[in-house]
Amino acid sequence: MWKRYRLRRLALIRLTECRMLENPTDENIVRWGNEGDSFVVLENEKFTKHILPKHFKHSNFASFVRQLNKYDFHKVRHNNEESGQSQYGPGAWEFKHPDFKMNNKDALDNIRRKAPAARKPNQGPDDVIVPTQQIDLINTQLVATQQQLQQLQERYNELNIHHSMLLQELMGVQKTVVNHEHVMQNVMNFLHSVDAQRRRDSRMINPFNQATTPSGGAVAGQSSQQPQIEEDVPASPLQQASKLLQETNADMLLNPRNLEHMNEISMRMNGTLTTPPPDYGLRNSQQPRPGSRGAPRSAGSSSSVRAGEIDTLVYPVGQTNGIDPMYSEHINNIPYPLPTKPPEPTDPRYQGPEALKKSAQIDPGWIRQPQILLVEDDPTCRRIGGKFLYAFNCAIDSAFDGLEAVNKMHGGSKYDLVLMDIIMPNLDGVSACHLVRQFDNTPIIAMTSNIRSDDISMYFQHGMNDVLPKPFTKEGLFQMLQKHLHHLIKQPGQGIDPQLQPNLTPAGPSHSVAGSTPRPPHAHTHSLTHSLKEEESPSAGASNKSPATTSNWNSPNQIPGVSPVTSSVTDDYMHHVPQQNPYAAQMAGNPPMGYPQMGMHGGGGASGRPGPQQPGIQQQPPQGQHRRQISEISGGEEMAGSGKRQIYSGQMGMQQRR
Amino acid sequence: MFRREQSEPGSVASLPTDVIDISTFEQILGMDDSDEDRDFSKGLVYSFFSQAESTFQEMDENFENKDILKLSSLGHFLKGSSAALGLTKLKDSCEKIQNLGTRRDETGMREEPDMDVSLKKLLQTIRDAKNQFGEAERALKRFFGDVSSQEK
Repeated sequence: MWKRYRLRRLALIRLTECRMLENPTDENIVRWGNEGDSFVVLENEKFTKHILPKHFKHSNFASFVRQLNKYDFHKVRHNNEESGQSQYGPGAWEFKHPDFKMNNKDALDNIRRKAPAARKPNQGPDDVIVPTQQIDLINTQLVATQQQLQQLQERYNELNIHHSMLLQELMGVQKTVVNHEHVMQNVMNFLHSVDAQRRRDSRMINPFNQATTPSGGAVAGQSSQQPQIEEDVPASPLQQASKLLQETNADMLLNPRNLEHMNEISMRMNGTLTTPPPDYGLRNSQQPRPGSRGAPRSAGSSSSVRAGEIDTLVYPVGQTNGIDPMYSEHINNIPYPLPTKPPEPTDPRYQGPEALKKSAQIDPGWIRQPQILLVEDDPTCRRIGGKFLYAFNCAIDSAFDGLEAVNKMHGGSKYDLVLMDIIMPNLDGVSACHLVRQFDNTPIIAMTSNIRSDDISMYFQHGMNDVLPKPFTKEGLFQMLQKHLHHLIKQPGQGIDPQLQPNLTPAGPSHSVAGSTPRPPHAHTHSLTHSLKEEESPSAGASNKSPATTSNWNSPNQIPGVSPVTSSVTDDYMHHVPQQNPYAAQMAGNPPMGYPQMGMHGGGGASGRPGPQQPGIQQQPPQGQHRRQISEISGGEEMAGSGKRQIYSGQMGMQQRR
Repeated sequence: MFRREQSEPGSVASLPTDVIDISTFEQILGMDDSDEDRDFSKGLVYSFFSQAESTFQEMDENFENKDILKLSSLGHFLKGSSAALGLTKLKDSCEKIQNLGTRRDETGMREEPDMDVSLKKLLQTIRDAKNQFGEAERALKRFFGDVSSQEK
């Protein structure tokens, strides 16, 4: 049987092995294993030197082992034994093959060299399948990455579009504001001439008024309540208004350029800009803009863009429910029915026939009843908020959480204002606001006790319009309504620019002036009562609307923490256009007039001013403090003169520049 | 504890000022139709009672499960309504629960690495909150003339 193997050189190994293993003289060098199913090289060195040369053309143990391996012999490892060593001694090599048995020599036939052709299939399970798995994995990863990249790209484009839309909106708003200022300045001019005329008249008619002795601060303060009657004083409110105008103008002049610059950049970067060109003529800061609404809505309808838009909720609170509310498909496939409009009040108490209220309804004079959506998970807060809103003659709809709110708004319910709690189950207020902003521009006010500045900046970043700190008061709420719904408040005398009135009418100025500085919150209380009182105020006329317009005008200052968007924008782009700053300062007069400075100046002017002896003055002592504020900041006669020149020159300069 | 047992039920002066912030509470009362008819405020307060009770129950359950994040959100939940009613002390405790539940100290300023400390403090604060709620509940029930509640 041995002869068979001679044909193949390497098969000799098997033969020779069998032979060499059966040579008893070499037993201490190489022999069968104890079980007879393996052979053991006991002494490596002697085996290599003495035995290998007898059977092979070489005396290299390593090639012997390599050849054994080619025949599918495997070294027996002894890892499982405690000592980690072979039972045949530390230097022993034991080799095994399933068909290499001491007493089964026939099986030796089965010992063959692993054919090269057969090698590949054999290796298949190890080397081929693993690579395909890896390739699959890599492929899927690649696809996923590409998808992510595409999503990012889409998102980026979308943001780009939003960004340029926002820019254009802002520019539009700014132009509107600038136009308003033009109007205001024209009116100021006119009023200055009227004022001068009146002073001339009153000097002739009522000369002794000029000789009135200077009185104490309080009287001087009250004097400003009757500016139309006194000849010296009226210049001061006018003057004051002019200066305020000038100041805001200086700011205004900076911003459009920054924005235009930004817009240019974004236009250059974003060749595929799809937004319609801004239509400034139609723009009104309070009306929904068709241009801006169109694009987000269409973007919202293509789910591929929306998907994966936000990965995490801003405030993951409570258990998340099965669906990811961030996917717009889900918005469209919400399992429960959407409300129909007009929204039914959830609590009949809100709308119930409670006409005989101790606290009578305070109706600020809505053109129509505002529709308010109150989003609040806490029943107590919801009831209180609803009750307050009801007292302000608003129609209330409520939603339990952000998800319900988004559904309601997405389902077509239109609201004039949304009051949104921040931390709510299922979907927090910020996320909800973010979603709503994809298709709707209704003002959304955050109602929250988290009013740290970083919280607030996050609210703004996600599209909130304002913050109402919790627990809110009736006055705070009313103030928010006035501020964001002033377009719904009846405004008699539409033709006149209302923003002028607060500075000129006796009742108005305290608010507009105080409002231009960060106002303490309790001042709102006053504006509430104020709006009611003005009905009977003698010079009320067009000033009824002053609280609303005032708050609108000064809105940036009333937010605790200025909107991060605007501030960051100006910060960024201030660097691009530094040369415009000195020019602005120039416009405001030199030195650039800060509000406090003017107050200091005015203090002297007020004390030196003749006080009026009008009997009607004492009728409004509670408001004296506010009134005095005005008179304090009002400049004296000569200041008025110089200021007037500043205005006129500044105005002309501005017009030239436009 | 500071209390004015003598004053008649229904007057704001009968409320313990250390438990209830009167100006906030009066604002709620101001929404009633009249001083005699306190449907709104009474309904509000009583629904708050049951809301608070079920919240405390939930707190107990979640404390057993050591789900302190849930405790935090429950604390926030109760904080809002207790603040709206002017229950200042209860509100403060709820805020502490909210902060402690996020593995921070009571003020929310500092991280609290030790879970056992958080749990221990939570246990105590929840106990405090319950006591403060009981206090407020008794005072408010007396205010609304609910005599039967007095033996509770």
